[in-house]
Amino acid sequence: MSSTMPVAAPAGTGPEPGYRGRRPLGRSLISRLRPWMLLTPALLVLAVLLLWPLVRVALFSLQDYGLKEIVSKESNWIGLDNFVEIFTSEQLWQVVLPNTVVFAVLSVACTVVFGTVVAVLLASLGRVWRTVVSSAIMAAWAMPAVTGTYVWVWIFDADRGVFNHVAQTLGLQDAPVNWFTERWSFYAIVLLNVVHHGFPFVAVTVLAGLLSVPNELLEAAEIDGAGPWRRFFSVIVPQLRQIFAVVIILSTIWDFKVFAQVYLMPGGSGTNREVLNLGVWSYTESFGQNRYGFGAAIAVLLTLLLLAITVVYVRTILKEDEL
Amino acid sequence: MSARARVRGGRRPQPGVQVGKGVAVAALLAFTLFPTYWMLVSALDAKAGIGTSFVPAEPTLEHFRFVLTDGGFDVFLRNSLVVALATVVASSLLALLASVAVARFRFRFRTQVLMMVLVVQMVPLEALVIPLFVQVRDLNLLGTLTGITIVYIALALPFGIWMLRGFVAAVPVELEEAAYLDGASWGRMFRSILFPLVAPGLVATSIFSFITAWNEFVFAMTLLGGATENYTVAIGLRSFFGQHSNDWGAIMAASTIITVPVMVFFIVVQRRLASGLTAGAVKG
Repeated sequence: MSSTMPVAAPAGTGPEPGYRGRRPLGRSLISRLRPWMLLTPALLVLAVLLLWPLVRVALFSLQDYGLKEIVSKESNWIGLDNFVEIFTSEQLWQVVLPNTVVFAVLSVACTVVFGTVVAVLLASLGRVWRTVVSSAIMAAWAMPAVTGTYVWVWIFDADRGVFNHVAQTLGLQDAPVNWFTERWSFYAIVLLNVVHHGFPFVAVTVLAGLLSVPNELLEAAEIDGAGPWRRFFSVIVPQLRQIFAVVIILSTIWDFKVFAQVYLMPGGSGTNREVLNLGVWSYTESFGQNRYGFGAAIAVLLTLLLLAITVVYVRTILKEDEL
Repeated sequence: MSARARVRGGRRPQPGVQVGKGVAVAALLAFTLFPTYWMLVSALDAKAGIGTSFVPAEPTLEHFRFVLTDGGFDVFLRNSLVVALATVVASSLLALLASVAVARFRFRFRTQVLMMVLVVQMVPLEALVIPLFVQVRDLNLLGTLTGITIVYIALALPFGIWMLRGFVAAVPVELEEAAYLDGASWGRMFRSILFPLVAPGLVATSIFSFITAWNEFVFAMTLLGGATENYTVAIGLRSFFGQHSNDWGAIMAASTIITVPVMVFFIVVQRRLASGLTAGAVKG
């Protein structure tokens, strides 16, 4: 490819008229094909491993697909029966949907508010302390979901966890409490875990935005008599509208998909039906009960939910700049 | 950004504000670091799980020794390294080529391709795991490192393209044109101009692919199934959970081993994190 081009530009001369910007005719076909040659390998991988599976999960969701069908590779169409079963089940309305939606809303709110507060704090710090604190934040961010979850489980362990120990020492409770059996306390721990892991992204992104707000704007507002609160909500927040939109939408998408943080907690892998969320429900129905069709239908619902949020996200981005 | 450190709200430091800020910083540090600290303390304490103490009551490296020998974590670490490195090489290469295409060329369906790359990242893994399980099973790759590596390459790819695209776009077109004027072919220009300038972005992207593969849990659990000898670190941890009691010292030692490389990497790329994640989404 490299030797076929008739390039005859004399070195060191300035741009010749008619050369710069206009490619020679012989190159036009190659340069028109080049992006596709560059893209093809990646697109193939994405098509085979992400897009085709997405089509397939939709197809599975319309079948009674179990171990038998996996082995025989035969289809077993049942129309929308899986979806009817989902939407008529108590499990969805009483447990799974609240666990997914309420949890996502709460954790997005907590993550974004806390992350923003931290960003404001970071912006007000001197250079040294800002480096120290942001390194600590990186440590929280870097903690893998799996090990992070195990550490929180260990902290709240019923028998020997440090939380129960301290609470008892302080006289807040008489005996160790098993925090994982109750739905609310279970999800409170998940919330703590998710916020701890998720706020660094918000803090770092919002901080970058804060530092890009022109100082003159703030000084002008100060001269006009705006206090710190007023300056934050009336000057900074409108400037960062775009950043907040992205941060909120991305957090929403991530928090709807919470899986390992629930699955790895005691009872989270399906034994405690009270704490299922959409992702875990789909997984346990598929791989625990071998009801792959039913699990796929739940997964399709989760995907559609996320797709709706993604559409909002893409629109926000498109508004900002042409891709 | 740190070079433009500005003092905001504290231009005339007042003692009350300073104290409040100090307390806030201390509380924040405690909250962010406590889980990591507690993990380390338990991993280094021979009495972890027997008593509760905030510094190791009986400092020891025994948990690490146990985990890496009898615990079989040496094998899990090797598996994870192989899988993660293969993922990094393959996905970075594919992402680099694709990102040059979308950042440097205008062509039909370009916007659609970018949109797809963006949307595909939002798909929940739980939706992919069922069909991919069937697919990998049909290929007779269940329980193998090959099967899981192929899946990880696909998982790391969209984000890699998205992130590298920003780095490629940041290279001034004038440099490319200068290379053409000097008689370079496109291939030569790519090798000598674009590639060296995008290299830092490639490092950042590689680190993210590495972390994706290193941390991944759902697919490892599903696709590796009972093939214990092929477990990656993320699911190898589960082997320390007993039927009745958990060996918390060993679990925390193993968790430390998994976490440390990721933390080191994060600190290396920390400056690029915010810009990379939102590149194209937000103009700072």
